[in-house]
Amino acid sequence: MNIDAKDKEKLTFEQALAKLEEIVSAIEEGAVPLEQSIDKYAEGVDLVKQCRQILDRAEKKIQLLGKGEGGQLEVTGELEEPADDAARA
Amino acid sequence: MAAKRNDMFNFFDPSKAKGPRSGPDIGKESAPQPMSVSLLVARVKQALADAMPASVTVVGELSNVKCHDSGHVYFRLKDAKCAIDAVMFRGPAGKLKFTPADGLEVVVEGRVDVYDARGQLQLYVERMTPVGAGSLELAFRQLKEKLQAEGLFDAAAKKPIPRFPRAVGVITSQTGAAVRDISRTLRRRWPAAEVYLLPTLVQGEGAASQIAECIRLMDASAAALGIDTIIVGRGGGSLEDLWAFNEEAVARAVFAAGTPIISGVGHEVDFTICDLVADVRAATPTAAAELAVPDASAVGGWLSEAAARATRRMRQRLDEARLSLESICRSAVFRDPMGRVRAHMQRMDEFAHRLRGGIRHRVAQARRSAEMPAAGLAALHPARLCERGAAKVDGLLSRLRWALGGRSKRAGEALGGAAGRLAAASPVNRVRLARQQVDGAARQLDAMSHRGVLRRGFSVTRSQAGRILRSASQALAGEMIETELADGKLRSRVESDGEDAARSANECPNAPPGAAPARPGVAKRRSESGPTLF
Repeated sequence: MNIDAKDKEKLTFEQALAKLEEIVSAIEEGAVPLEQSIDKYAEGVDLVKQCRQILDRAEKKIQLLGKGEGGQLEVTGELEEPADDAARA
Repeated sequence: MAAKRNDMFNFFDPSKAKGPRSGPDIGKESAPQPMSVSLLVARVKQALADAMPASVTVVGELSNVKCHDSGHVYFRLKDAKCAIDAVMFRGPAGKLKFTPADGLEVVVEGRVDVYDARGQLQLYVERMTPVGAGSLELAFRQLKEKLQAEGLFDAAAKKPIPRFPRAVGVITSQTGAAVRDISRTLRRRWPAAEVYLLPTLVQGEGAASQIAECIRLMDASAAALGIDTIIVGRGGGSLEDLWAFNEEAVARAVFAAGTPIISGVGHEVDFTICDLVADVRAATPTAAAELAVPDASAVGGWLSEAAARATRRMRQRLDEARLSLESICRSAVFRDPMGRVRAHMQRMDEFAHRLRGGIRHRVAQARRSAEMPAAGLAALHPARLCERGAAKVDGLLSRLRWALGGRSKRAGEALGGAAGRLAAASPVNRVRLARQQVDGAARQLDAMSHRGVLRRGFSVTRSQAGRILRSASQALAGEMIETELADGKLRSRVESDGEDAARSANECPNAPPGAAPARPGVAKRRSESGPTLF
């Protein structure tokens, strides 16, 4: 169960969505026994919640990159929001 | 030597080029001092410089083009009759967008001079433009053909863009409109993704190499930053403005990158080499951002829809389950749980009953078979034999009575029926048939009358009043009785009545006990007429 929970956290949006798709079609087809589909439904609700959390995450800032000492890129600052975006908000 | 000198003058000094006529004059003036080759070339150069404009524009066809490692380009410019060697040094050659190639018709601009080391006339080209097409167009075509041949545009080499990028790297000018368009679009559509900007020059000197370097850097750091999609681009501009994205360096960097790259340069009509090499070509920077990330509202809509679908189906399934549960609850089993038990109990009772009956029957059977030998012995007892004989007689008598009664009646009826049918049917054979039937019936009647029994050795005894004697007690002592035999009747007197007969039978040592009292009539008859019956 612990491993499952960890795996779930590591799911990317794409993986979560794919899993959700699989669950929904399994429920819709009705091929799984009722108890199992109730479990799947709960899992699906959880996945929808996770996906929504990802969707609702609002990263406003744009990270500016620059060449670091080792030649690797690193974040050197944040780009100001474009003026008309700020006006809209 | 003189002729050669004259030739030289003819060639290099137009003012004195009147022909060989002036030659002898010069020869007369003074004996010429020999000059060094260097002086000669120097004087020729000078003469040429004096005679020719500082810059000439010449049209011709390129041949023997040699692009040297140093960056200088050597070639020969020719037309149908003549040719002249030419060189384009690294500086101006480096600015060339297209690659000079044999057979290309070009207009070159430069000065004409003598190459000291060889004393050769040479064109020093500062600018070269292709005839017909623009040089950028030509350059584009040339690079496109070259990279295409190398497979840089192959669809098989294109990398897929992630459906839901975690981080998008943007390579463009920090100050242009493109960065604003891209960031706005990315934020609006998919705020979940991180956006990184790596600023670069996008036009002018050094832009292409900077763009190429940025692509290499970002690709190298993509894993560390989590960047899974790169957007390279800039806003609209002239062909020259966009030119950096048509440079080979950019194309090579895009092709070499491991991270999928979306190219969005200029407007819809602009098509760059960078677009062709990129994994996905977008018409504009905004379009590039749209292609890079999904629309969160659409995805959210899909999520809601999927959740609703699952919920609807689950409700339906639960309702179905509830309904079937309810219908099961309504069934007889749950409404009257004892009903089936009772039914079982009833069946059990039935079985018990049958079991008891069966056992009783078997026990009775067993008992009977156990009693059989005793019963057999008893049956063989003389008294029983007599009894049975008497019973037989009784049976026969009753049958006789029945025959006399029922059958004769039926025979009479048959006779009557036959007579009726006879009356109805006139033909003679019918009469005969009826007679036969009558005769048959009569025979039957006769066979069934007691006379048949009498013929078999039985007798019938009647009282004086004519009643058949069935019991010894029916006869009185001294009474006259009549015994009917098969061939006649005997009249006799009863010497003792039934009671005496029973008593005398008991006293008689030969008579089995109980036999005489049971059948007094017979016993008496036997005592009277003895063996006549047996």
